[in-house]
Amino acid sequence: MVRLLSDRGEKLSAELVRVVERKGIPEGIKIICGLPDVGLVGVIAAAHIISKLNLKEVAYVETELLPPVIMLENGLPKPPIRIFGNNDLLVLISEIAIPSDSIHQIIKSIIDWAWSKRAEKILTLSGLPVPNRHELEKIRIFGAASNDMMLKVLMDNEIEIIERGFLAGPQALILKYCAEKNMPAIALLAEAFYNYPDPEASSLIIQALNKVMNINVDVSELIEKGEEVRLAMRDMMRRTQTELAKMRKSHEYDVPGFYIR
Amino acid sequence: MTFQASTLGRVGNGGGSRVSARRRSIFDIVREYVEEIEALTDEIVERFMEKPSWDVDSQSLEPLCDVYVRRDMVIVTADLPKADPESIRISSIRDDLIEITANMKVKVNFEDLGVKHRRGEFTCLCCRVPLPVPVDVSKAKAKFRKGILEITLPRKKGYEIKIG
Repeated sequence: MVRLLSDRGEKLSAELVRVVERKGIPEGIKIICGLPDVGLVGVIAAAHIISKLNLKEVAYVETELLPPVIMLENGLPKPPIRIFGNNDLLVLISEIAIPSDSIHQIIKSIIDWAWSKRAEKILTLSGLPVPNRHELEKIRIFGAASNDMMLKVLMDNEIEIIERGFLAGPQALILKYCAEKNMPAIALLAEAFYNYPDPEASSLIIQALNKVMNINVDVSELIEKGEEVRLAMRDMMRRTQTELAKMRKSHEYDVPGFYIR
Repeated sequence: MTFQASTLGRVGNGGGSRVSARRRSIFDIVREYVEEIEALTDEIVERFMEKPSWDVDSQSLEPLCDVYVRRDMVIVTADLPKADPESIRISSIRDDLIEITANMKVKVNFEDLGVKHRRGEFTCLCCRVPLPVPVDVSKAKAKFRKGILEITLPRKKGYEIKIG
């Protein structure tokens, strides 16, 4: 396969961000991404999937573009962006808000790495902000993709496609970089609170993922523990909200100005 | 006042003497104002965030809250997980500041949140929300649904200016 990136671009990303594998990761694997975004929908969903499928830490993202923060687990340092997995799928999760000015480089490097591992497909889970979220009886799920083949997967699973509109933040860049490489990627988005942790939206996005990937992750525990999750995720939500504003997340509310047919 | 002083200072310095001062477009000046305001906002946000979202002395956790300004009303929302709906109190501290408090149905301590090296337990949620525009607090209404408190405050009306 031919890499379309320039030498300079590749060198730059290799220096600033790299994925370090702790265990051998097979080629052709599926990757689920849960990065901090509206309602922390992806992060909450990813954490639940990791716990339910009992996935083990297999890799992490090494970068100096994040704040000087580590996660302590049983007294030992852990990097904030980690990859958990088994032989079939990987789940990428961040435990801190990603600074808006490093998001491009971090996502680009992760996609470069996924490309080098010949990943089968990337599925990014996230929320779509709706102002009247607390009045909604039924949350809708939407999808977008990096190529026609993946759009067909969404249609086959009766997931409504966002035909026209803006996306901003991690899933926007995942689709962008995957489309550039014609790498299969799907973004699943659940209607969600912009700035309140939304475990209900996360449970629905997992159910959509179950259909798309033909897996079976039970969400009853996540629904049951919704209040605990909302309480525990306040700090991460607060920090994520600041970064989302800098990423111009409110673009997603905008109506595009031109219609180019 | 700070923005004004520093922006004017830069205008003077950029041009050298007063006579030969290069006239800059109004757009440049506005852009500089906006940049300075953005930088200051970032600083305020960062300073505001460099404090814990809990207070052991008052046994309170700070909930997330939000303010929307509409044409005729201001809507304040707050996410109140584990709140006892009967105990929610909303009071106006000043004309432009309201306080939301609620007792939690159960006590929560740090260990419940997965943290073992801190001591303290929490019995309530408490936050203060600044209101960006004048409102009539006496006509405010509130409802609590699915763990989200929504307070609607009508905006104060100004004078109508007649045409002709």
